[in-house]
Amino acid sequence: MYCKLVGAVAGAVAAAATVLGPATPALAAQTSQVFVVHGIPGQAVDVYVNGDKVLSDFQPATVAGPLSLAAGSYDIVLTRPGDPISSPLLEVNDAMVPADQNLSLVAHLSVGGSPSLTPFVNDTSVVAAGKARLIVRHTAAAPAVDVRAGGQPVFRGLTNPNEVKADIAAGTVSADVVLAGTDTVVIGPADLNLAEGTATIVYAIGSAQDRTLAIITQVLTGLHSAPGGVPAGSAGLADQSLPAWWYAMAGAGALVLLGGVVAATRRFRPASPR
Amino acid sequence: MTTRTDAGAPHRARRLRPGRAGSAIALGAVLLLLAGGLGWRLTRGVEEFGAGTGLGPATSVQARLAADAGVPVAAGRLPGTPAVPPLRLEIPAIKVTAPVDAVGLDQATGEVDLPRDVDTVGWYRYGPDLGSTAGSVTIAGHVDGAAQGKGAFFRLREVPAGARVVVFGSDGAPRSFTVVSREVFAKTAMPMDRLFARDGRLRLTLITCGGPFDRKTRHYRDNVVLTAVPIGVFQGK
Repeated sequence: MYCKLVGAVAGAVAAAATVLGPATPALAAQTSQVFVVHGIPGQAVDVYVNGDKVLSDFQPATVAGPLSLAAGSYDIVLTRPGDPISSPLLEVNDAMVPADQNLSLVAHLSVGGSPSLTPFVNDTSVVAAGKARLIVRHTAAAPAVDVRAGGQPVFRGLTNPNEVKADIAAGTVSADVVLAGTDTVVIGPADLNLAEGTATIVYAIGSAQDRTLAIITQVLTGLHSAPGGVPAGSAGLADQSLPAWWYAMAGAGALVLLGGVVAATRRFRPASPR
Repeated sequence: MTTRTDAGAPHRARRLRPGRAGSAIALGAVLLLLAGGLGWRLTRGVEEFGAGTGLGPATSVQARLAADAGVPVAAGRLPGTPAVPPLRLEIPAIKVTAPVDAVGLDQATGEVDLPRDVDTVGWYRYGPDLGSTAGSVTIAGHVDGAAQGKGAFFRLREVPAGARVVVFGSDGAPRSFTVVSREVFAKTAMPMDRLFARDGRLRLTLITCGGPFDRKTRHYRDNVVLTAVPIGVFQGK
């Protein structure tokens, strides 16, 4: 069923997002960058993609990647560390990876507390100079929540497994998570240093019932843009155009020269008949 | 008779004496030559050199990691790498020592928000800092200010190739750079992505204004840009 979700999420993102490579550009089109996020408390896992182990003893609250995966369908299996692939903790067959996207594949608890795997397409479009992108994803066994910054709700009614996002001024915000419509804090407050030109993704993970709610974060860099200009002078003291006195001098020179030439020419003119 | 005499006298008076005509020609020629020379000096612009050097790819830790076969795994915590902002800039070649403020953007214009004081220069705090291992540490300074006169970067356009620039960071350590290029760009054609790059070779980019000044808008037409590369290797973050 989650494979359907992958397709749905991919289809929902109509705009072609820039594929974010770590340091090398994507070698071929059609390849997506895939991060794997571990949001299930208390259980390290091995991760298999199409039968190949890509992560060993992958710890909770960590982020791996990116993996470069060609567009297509993948079988993804999570096992207890060292267990054979035949006895999985969580298995998703035919998960669709779209082309040219940046994805986060999140292992987390569903609202009911069962292990799930949800793909999110990361918005890696360029962020305006001075701004940072904040993305909050509800991937915890908990009801709807509001996300507050500095005590004020900025995102309301977020439910598992969905996300909200906004581009805001870069800097540190004190954020907490409350049960939707209440002041009951379930996570935080935590200081989030939102670096300019990055996307900071905050995942709410764990279980409200088990009192294991927490946040983990993932940062995507390289989304910055340059400032509009550098205004660095207003007096004209280093001006390199011609000042008024130059024109006066050149004009005077031309007039005096002309006068001299005219006078000299007249001198050699034959006397006019009387 | 009298009419002929009267007609002849003004005619003679209008005529310059031969010596005066020669002097006028000489004076006019000298004035014009002087105007030509001064005009050339005033408008010849800033001599450029080394355009586009000092950029190149960075050999960063990240690039090496990417070359490894394994999938990098990171803790799901925000990176806590404190920046090393520059605090003081010295350019001995033009006898400049200037304090450096961390600056951001003018919200109204989206342009770099330089310090009000023209003797203080501004480091673009969203870009690389002295602890970075790649990209451009960009410092902009006033060439002048309407009310304050000449700024810290008034003579930036005179800094020659190979000149030394020393930047002191918040950790107290000096970093030395050597100037490799001096370029002039129209403000409408600035390679901003390059001047404010966060990747590529670690370098210092110094920017000020230059070129003709428009007295109506009170803006210079151009930006003068110096690029300097690190001397030796200093510890990155």
